[in-house]
Amino acid sequence: MIEDLLIYGAISGAVYALLALGFTLVYGVAEILNMAHGALYMLGVYAFVILFSFFHLDLLSSIILATIFVGFVGIAVYGLIRSVVDEVLPVLVVTLGATLVIQQLSIIQFGARDIRVPPMISGIVTLLGVKILQDRLLALALSLCLIFVLWIFISRSKIGLAMRAVAQDREVAMLMGINTERVYMLTILISGSLAAVAGMLITRPVVNPNIWQTPLYMSFAIVVLGGLGSIKGSLVGAFIIGYAENAVLYLVPEGQYLKGAVALAVMVIVLVLRPAGIFGKRMEIER
Amino acid sequence: MTEMVTSLLRRAYSSFASHIFDVPARLLAFLLFLLFLVMPLTNPGYFIYTGEGYYILGILVVANIYAIYAASWDILAGRTGQLSLGHALFYGIGAYTVAILYKFYALPLWVTIPIGILVSVSVALLVGFPCLRVKGPYLSLVTLAFPLILTGIFFMFKDVTGGELGISSLPAIIPVPPYTINQQRLAAFYFSSLLLAVSSVILYKIANSKIGIIFVSMLDDEVASKASGINTTKYKLLAFAISALFASLAGAFAASYESSVGISMLALTMSFYPVIMTILGGIGTIYGPIIGAFILTILDRYVLKVVVSDALAHTHIIERAEDLAPWHMIIYTSVVIIFVLAWPRGVTRFVVDKLEDLEEARELEEIKKKKK
Amino acid sequence: MHLLEVENLTKRFGGLTAVNNVSFNVDEGEITGLIGPNGAGKTTLFNLISGILKPDSGTVKFKGENVTGLESHKIVNKGISRTFQVIRPFRHLPAIANVMVSCLCPRMKKKLTWLKSPERKALDMLEDVGLTEMALEPASNLSHGDLKRLEIARALALEPDLLLLDEPFSGMNPIETDYLTKSIRRMHLDGHTMVIVEHKLHALMKLVKRVIVLHYGEKIAEGSPKEVAKNKKVLEVYMGRVI
Repeated sequence: MIEDLLIYGAISGAVYALLALGFTLVYGVAEILNMAHGALYMLGVYAFVILFSFFHLDLLSSIILATIFVGFVGIAVYGLIRSVVDEVLPVLVVTLGATLVIQQLSIIQFGARDIRVPPMISGIVTLLGVKILQDRLLALALSLCLIFVLWIFISRSKIGLAMRAVAQDREVAMLMGINTERVYMLTILISGSLAAVAGMLITRPVVNPNIWQTPLYMSFAIVVLGGLGSIKGSLVGAFIIGYAENAVLYLVPEGQYLKGAVALAVMVIVLVLRPAGIFGKRMEIER
Repeated sequence: MTEMVTSLLRRAYSSFASHIFDVPARLLAFLLFLLFLVMPLTNPGYFIYTGEGYYILGILVVANIYAIYAASWDILAGRTGQLSLGHALFYGIGAYTVAILYKFYALPLWVTIPIGILVSVSVALLVGFPCLRVKGPYLSLVTLAFPLILTGIFFMFKDVTGGELGISSLPAIIPVPPYTINQQRLAAFYFSSLLLAVSSVILYKIANSKIGIIFVSMLDDEVASKASGINTTKYKLLAFAISALFASLAGAFAASYESSVGISMLALTMSFYPVIMTILGGIGTIYGPIIGAFILTILDRYVLKVVVSDALAHTHIIERAEDLAPWHMIIYTSVVIIFVLAWPRGVTRFVVDKLEDLEEARELEEIKKKKK
Repeated sequence: MHLLEVENLTKRFGGLTAVNNVSFNVDEGEITGLIGPNGAGKTTLFNLISGILKPDSGTVKFKGENVTGLESHKIVNKGISRTFQVIRPFRHLPAIANVMVSCLCPRMKKKLTWLKSPERKALDMLEDVGLTEMALEPASNLSHGDLKRLEIARALALEPDLLLLDEPFSGMNPIETDYLTKSIRRMHLDGHTMVIVEHKLHALMKLVKRVIVLHYGEKIAEGSPKEVAKNKKVLEVYMGRVI
């Protein structure tokens, strides 16, 4: 029982971390609350399903091409909000609008019905006495890899440094010669890609045009709980919620109905105790 | 006795006159409102029973409802800066209270609507407390959670709330036998217009009162507001409660008008409507959200559904008018996006700014003439 | 009994001790200066007294009552008001509304009753600081000097028993400085008790009867302006080693 929880909690945590990291990056660097995050997630699944199931491309190509596609859609969304990027509310409305447009286009293109998402690889493995689908294990491995790569990129590379500089103080970064516009674009590219991969790894067994909602408010819950803009926070938050959800599933009878509410409930509880999230900065009172 | 009544009426009239007739903008608004009320009677055929599956008056009723809902969001977000993304919570509570009380106790509307409002305000005070400690984007995201949590609770108690199916067969403002359908439609229109008029006047008065000043001080600088001795917690809760009051009023009336309630009333999209309408119209004014609500409702239910579909079908760009349906949402959303990008501070702000520019230009012209 | 008693007040931010065991008293009717190099903890001290920050240890007593750690609006309603080093106007409100906010708090509601409306009181305060013409202008249209005067009007509108002024002279030209000096003298004559933080020592030393000097969060000197100006430690701190 505990082993089940341990392993499935880890899987959930890792893939949720991918999802949340994208959202927190965009907020940390550009102060944008990207309401289209869930829609990009959904597009990732659709693109993957088309390439993998219908065109029968191999797994790696499907993932990479689908991710590139969603990355570009993300840049398109950025193109829309460029002119109002500093104003909270217009950004909110426009990214919301983009989400609804993406949803509607998905309905037109794929229909409102469920489409089956195939597992990436078939087969079952036994780990610590627990039977897991190889597909889930691959999801775990891939997520951890990507998180690791992202961590190295942000903390070691020059571009990562630029991103961190812009996140801290945009004006000063500009004065230092950093092209903030390009940094924003790159950030959204990365964020969209992470969302897309998260979609491909999480969404089972079916995809339909409504699935953008859950990852959106899951991202909110995790990022708020961990602290907006904090990478550490998103990682910790993702695993907290991943484990909490699985705990409820296993320990509470009829737990599956409560699964969605767990993330939200955890978020509300943490915010009451720490109004800026676990690792969030408290808002400045006076300089 | 009659003397007292006449003097009261005279005072009421003079207060009314000084408020409305002396200010040209308000006079205009008042006249437009009178026109709006009289309109359906001028051509009943067109307004009350037009077309298949819709009627103009119905569209206006929905616009009225959304206008109240959007204005309720604006007084909270535009005046105190608390950007709630979960306003559907109060709308849904208003609606579901009416529905549940009717389903189980057959209580009439004039009882259930006030109870719905009461429940909603109580929830606002309850929910407001944790929300107070939380600021900025955190507040927005937390408020987003509440209607979703309520949705989960509603699903747990399916027998009470009806689950996905909701509750239907709710009473209308006036019943159809003995009245006719057309009379019912007229009643819905006049009643909702009255609600909108009263709500907007009350909200306007609050926004421009001493309480309104305190609200704006909290929006501008909460620390400075506290340093002026204001208990910001108390006023934030007050704003929440006022906002919830009007949102639930809109929801309760909607329940009666649509004669049903469904879980979609608590959905994310329902929380987003007042935001979109207010931003489009102009945040922080009371008329902005009202205008935004009207523009978007008429765009959605009339312009796109009827005018554009018919025109395109006529010119054979699409086969039948109904074929536009899937693109309807995309066009609507694109229009919203274009509007918000073009006028990020709202349409009404843009118009007011332009009018002020014209005014300034005119004054400059006059000064130039005098110099000559 | 002193009007204000500050005892062993300490505040730490992580590893930095911003205010370290500071104690002093203020009596009614005094004007006291609070000086020290940048980062000495003067504004933090004001924040602790006015309730914006809670101290880690120590007490603040006002009129004999322990007000340590109370929320800022509660302390305001007890009679302590302050201005901010970096002005904090309500930009969306006109000048008169800025002052009216102070007139709408519980303290002023009690004091004003039906004798004077909040609007009347606000107009009077604007007159006192010479801002009557700008009464209906949105605060965002006012100049920096006007806004500093507005800050003082807002603080005075609370009819405080103790007024904390945080760098009131900053950003002012000589004419404005002169005007403000006269205003502060007038307020003192009217009976206001004040503590003033200021870097412009020439302006400050003319006004105050007593000076407290802070350095790295600690009180290093206290006395009349003349005594403090001759104090070796103070000179060292401000000018490096004394020759």
